[in-house]
Amino acid sequence: MEQLFFILLALLTLSAALMVVTTRNLLHAAFWLILVFFGIAGFFILLHAEFLAVVQVLIYIGAISTLIIFAIMLTRRIMDPQQPRFNSQWGLVGGLAALLFVVLAAVTTRVAWPTTSATLPAEPIKQLGADFVGVYAVPFEVASVLLVVAMIGAIIIARERG
Amino acid sequence: MTFPTLNFPVIAPQIVLVAAALIILLADLMVANKRILGWISLIAVIGALAAVFVCRSDSAAFPLALGGPSGPGTMALADGLGLFASAAVLIAAGLAILLAIERVGDFSRFEKPGSEKKQARSGDHPIAEAPGPQVTDRAGAYYALLLLATAGMTAMATASDLMTIFIALEIFSLALYILVGFNRRDLRSGEAALKYFLLGAFASGFFLYGIALIYAATGTTSLEAILHNIQPMSISLPFRPLLPVGMGLLLVGFGFKLALVPFHMWTPDAYQGAPTPVTAFMSVATKAAAFAALIRVLAAVASYDRPWLLALAALAVLTMTLGNLAALRQTSLKRMLAYSSIAHAGYLLIGLAAGNQLGVEGALYYLLAYTFMNLGAFAVLLAVQRRDENDVTGDRILGLAGRQPLLAALMAVLMFSLAGIPPLAGFFGKLYVFSGAVEAGLAWLAIVGVLNSALGAYYYLRVTILMFMAEPAESDQEISSGKVETLQPGWAVMTTVVLAVLGTIVLGLWQWPWTQTIAQAVSTLALR
Amino acid sequence: MEYISNFFVNLGNSWTSLLSSFLPPWAVILINFIIVALLLVLMPVIATMTLTIMERKIIARIQNRIGPNRVGPWGIFQAIPDAIKLLTKEDIVPVNADKPLFNLAPLLIFLGAALLWAVIPFGRGVIGQDLNVGVLYLVAVGSISTIAIVMAGWSSNNKFALIGAFRIVAQLLSYEIPMVLAMASVVALVGTMKMGEIVELQSIPFLLILPVAFITYILAAAAETGRAPFDLVEADSEIVAGYFIEYSGLKFGWFYIAEYGNLLAVSAIAATLFLGGWRGPFADQAPVLGPLYFGIKTILIVFLLMWIRGTWPRFRIDQMLALAWKVLVPLGLFNLLWVATMIKLPLPVWLQWAFILAGNVLALLVTLTLMGQAAKRYAARRGMVGTRA
Repeated sequence: MEQLFFILLALLTLSAALMVVTTRNLLHAAFWLILVFFGIAGFFILLHAEFLAVVQVLIYIGAISTLIIFAIMLTRRIMDPQQPRFNSQWGLVGGLAALLFVVLAAVTTRVAWPTTSATLPAEPIKQLGADFVGVYAVPFEVASVLLVVAMIGAIIIARERG
Repeated sequence: MTFPTLNFPVIAPQIVLVAAALIILLADLMVANKRILGWISLIAVIGALAAVFVCRSDSAAFPLALGGPSGPGTMALADGLGLFASAAVLIAAGLAILLAIERVGDFSRFEKPGSEKKQARSGDHPIAEAPGPQVTDRAGAYYALLLLATAGMTAMATASDLMTIFIALEIFSLALYILVGFNRRDLRSGEAALKYFLLGAFASGFFLYGIALIYAATGTTSLEAILHNIQPMSISLPFRPLLPVGMGLLLVGFGFKLALVPFHMWTPDAYQGAPTPVTAFMSVATKAAAFAALIRVLAAVASYDRPWLLALAALAVLTMTLGNLAALRQTSLKRMLAYSSIAHAGYLLIGLAAGNQLGVEGALYYLLAYTFMNLGAFAVLLAVQRRDENDVTGDRILGLAGRQPLLAALMAVLMFSLAGIPPLAGFFGKLYVFSGAVEAGLAWLAIVGVLNSALGAYYYLRVTILMFMAEPAESDQEISSGKVETLQPGWAVMTTVVLAVLGTIVLGLWQWPWTQTIAQAVSTLALR
Repeated sequence: MEYISNFFVNLGNSWTSLLSSFLPPWAVILINFIIVALLLVLMPVIATMTLTIMERKIIARIQNRIGPNRVGPWGIFQAIPDAIKLLTKEDIVPVNADKPLFNLAPLLIFLGAALLWAVIPFGRGVIGQDLNVGVLYLVAVGSISTIAIVMAGWSSNNKFALIGAFRIVAQLLSYEIPMVLAMASVVALVGTMKMGEIVELQSIPFLLILPVAFITYILAAAAETGRAPFDLVEADSEIVAGYFIEYSGLKFGWFYIAEYGNLLAVSAIAATLFLGGWRGPFADQAPVLGPLYFGIKTILIVFLLMWIRGTWPRFRIDQMLALAWKVLVPLGLFNLLWVATMIKLPLPVWLQWAFILAGNVLALLVTLTLMGQAAKRYAARRGMVGTRA
């Protein structure tokens, strides 16, 4: 049953991802991307990581996609569906991407992925929260510095000249 | 639930820097004289430097025993290497702030174009009606971002967990993207920022992917734990194939940040377009932080294995050669120094490719020397650069010795040091790095390095010749006849140059304390 | 006693075992899923049928009119002919519209409105799915409607629609933050994100402990549903109807249903988080009272929102954003910080709650004082009547 769901979800996500890169209309690409994000949220649910699934929807769909769509709408020429999708280097890039795929595929098939029966903690969210302020306190707090930098930067860039 | 004890001295420099950045942002709203902000940030950097020396402790921010070797371990580690690299970063930051104190207005001040018209148009709109200053000065944001970038770099230098390394990397990268594009009047600056941002974001992707694969292979992000997990399982580690791919991706990410050759495309444009004090800062401090992290990652993930060292050696050869060849052909001095800093990244990499005690010691020594001489060279460029321009071509320094003998002499010292002429710091740096390579059995690499130094000497000495042997160009005759505003480098810029030159000379002539410190720092690392 | 207090759970169990007696297990699951899904989908429709007439009557009363009075006693069946009219209208798609997106948007926005109901407890055990991330789920589902609105605004190929979409996205993103902060302070207080458990642990309505969070939530909810005074999304005098200007017939109906579905949903969430949900006198002894209490509390909040709509003038966009970022977000942050600090103090629970309440009241007073001063300064600058300057 879970296998079936996984296959369906993978098909959905992959075909949506394919549409993202092939569709001519940039805005449609953004909406396909949202479908990809939904698919990934679905994978998280299959992995019993409800928190990550919900956060995926909240951040990637609620915030990031909206920003992407805004950026597309506010950019003029980029909306033109007549624009060519490829530039002169597409062959090279395609080759590199294929190479990367081959390497990753070779590696992943060679790895003996073990299936462990590790049990989840009784309250995974509480554990996550405790880890954020416990073991991972330094990266967690430092991430807030990152946000401060991003905020200052956004204001500098967005503020009118003068 | 037990909370691990947080060892504050380890992160004290970062706390000082971030707090100062926030104070500056607040003070920016109240202080009219923006120079005060510069002094505050300088004090903060000195305070952080003091914290580095006072709070040095060999213990980690989190004791490893907490989660066991496979669990989460240390996040930050104030060992000799981290403190040394932090000190280099902080010296660079201090000099860059001193450099900018007089000249920050060149690229941070804006006069509101057509402000009266705008007020009339918006009529009764209350926002436009508010009495606002006609001239905005973003100096506060400049200093704050510089301090935050410094905090990120010191955090990266002391980080001992891939997660901390990545977040620190992102902090200083983001701050630098903004700083590079800080000059909103100059289109070049914006272009530079965009290129740097796009490629940098791409590089971050590689970096993160590498971290993910390494995590998949070892089940942890802590460098110590990775080292711990690899060794006992090295015979039949089930995820073994993931490690090289992950390390390769990490190397690509580091390559972007260090401007190593296949990944250097953004460097000339970003260095040329950025405001000169920013270029001076990022060209040295980024390298110090990223090299420290690279040394750690190589020790943990690649254990300085032979294939990796050969890959590094290949990168070093490419980087040196291409950087020097491209630098030969530049007319813009800023762009020339950009290519030369690529070449210097190659020399630094030789020390890592050697992978032995001597090589890494040499790389660290070279890093400090490079901090002084490269920053000083950019400071001289700022000194001869006019307020309304952001680039220096060769004819601006034609006959500089006639007009400003002191400045020309200082520049000559810096150029000699960059070229690697004894007894300056640049020479000893190269000497240590090359002898490390010879000791590791990579004599050919040392030979390529020497040949490249000869190549580099050509364009460094050309700068000296331009200053001392050539007549001033026409535009400068106009300057001396009083038609154009005379260029007088401010005292702060001169102080920076003098300090940098002093650093170069002292480091070269009086080596023992430095080499001693470096040897101690390196001795705790897991090298070959 | 045990049986009665878990009446609905036992009822559900009996129903399931009844079905299981003659159906295979997968069919039982399927039937139960279909029933729950139907209920979810029905909730927004029920909301529209009842709340429209309620709103029209209340607004009419506020404006000294009578309101609809033709169909049925006091006009209470007015919604039925309205619905029939809507269904029989022509379905128009603009020539240059982006057709797939234009058709998808109404469905998506309805989906967002319906999915909200999955985690709202109507009584003890009467909840679609008591997710352990329930509160976060509500916020996440709410973001789907943002996407749907952008989709509608863009695909209509109409400048008013696009402006409306831009406005509402700015509004939704801004007000999501105070809303989440208000919800988070409740979560911090009870230590769980399960909606059902929040009600169980609410021995006194949290409105009495966290008035600041409640007020923040109500204002944010009014903005999230795009209702007056935050209705500049569809400000008729400026941009005609906003993002759904080009929609007609049933597709317009979906937007309409989603709007009222959301109104009822945010009220139900407020009732759950702040008014004690289905709790009330004798609700334990007579479980049927639970949903009744819940309904009454929800309708009270709906009435509050309608009251606000009927009496306040519309905000301008900068005022609206300023309210969110300069007032509600700092207030919400303070509140969350205060709650988080207080519950860690080694004190008896009632004392902690008293401290939280005291902090809330103080924050409210300070905010109101500051806002009053700001208003006076503003009025003095603009030379308005009533200033002493």
